[in-house]
Amino acid sequence: MTEDTGATPTPYVLDVSILVAVARADADVTRLVLALDGRGRPLVIPVLAITAASLDARTEDGDVALMGLERLENTMIASLRDAGQAARLAAVIAKTGLETCDAHVAAVADASVCPILTLDAQKWREHATALDEPLHIIEITDPDED
Amino acid sequence: MGERKTSLTVTVDPRLIAYAEQLVEAGKAPDVSAVINDALSEKVGRDALDRLRETAAQADPAKVDRMLAHIDRQAAAFPER
Repeated sequence: MTEDTGATPTPYVLDVSILVAVARADADVTRLVLALDGRGRPLVIPVLAITAASLDARTEDGDVALMGLERLENTMIASLRDAGQAARLAAVIAKTGLETCDAHVAAVADASVCPILTLDAQKWREHATALDEPLHIIEITDPDED
Repeated sequence: MGERKTSLTVTVDPRLIAYAEQLVEAGKAPDVSAVINDALSEKVGRDALDRLRETAAQADPAKVDRMLAHIDRQAAAFPER
């Protein structure tokens, strides 16, 4: 819960781009994720997004960083729990054309009605309206660098 | 998806082994190996978190503050659940 209002803020779903940045030891993105966690913002990490980031980094340090995310106070790992969720993921892939790991992010965001936090909003905009309800996207960027 | 476990021989302080055996006797762990495994997993997690904090310490705080503010502005457009 936040200290300001006592209410639990809406969770953000971290996408593959964020996890890749953390696995590559991007200091700014890592600090930002820690800051969100420190504010009490729930962060949902789809397990297949972790797989994609680990595949991208392919380093022990990268995997350690991803394990560190799991240990934060307000992170939750969204797993693929059962056949129903696996079938739902397949439906999202079929509707959006997203790759499996990205589709897991979309499926989690769609089911939980939570925005996706990303470094690549453009990619998501292409797919945001493919599902019955539009995906909400929040982009991490420095406005001073735009 | 579990990993295949590996046997190893280690030297441990007697008081730690006594504590692990106490946990097993109390039914809080299936065996001493499980206690050791849990303890090491806990350490791996703590070290991983420390590593994240070390990385974050290299960041540009002003830039991160601007990015956070930008996130907040975008989030304000969404209704809280």
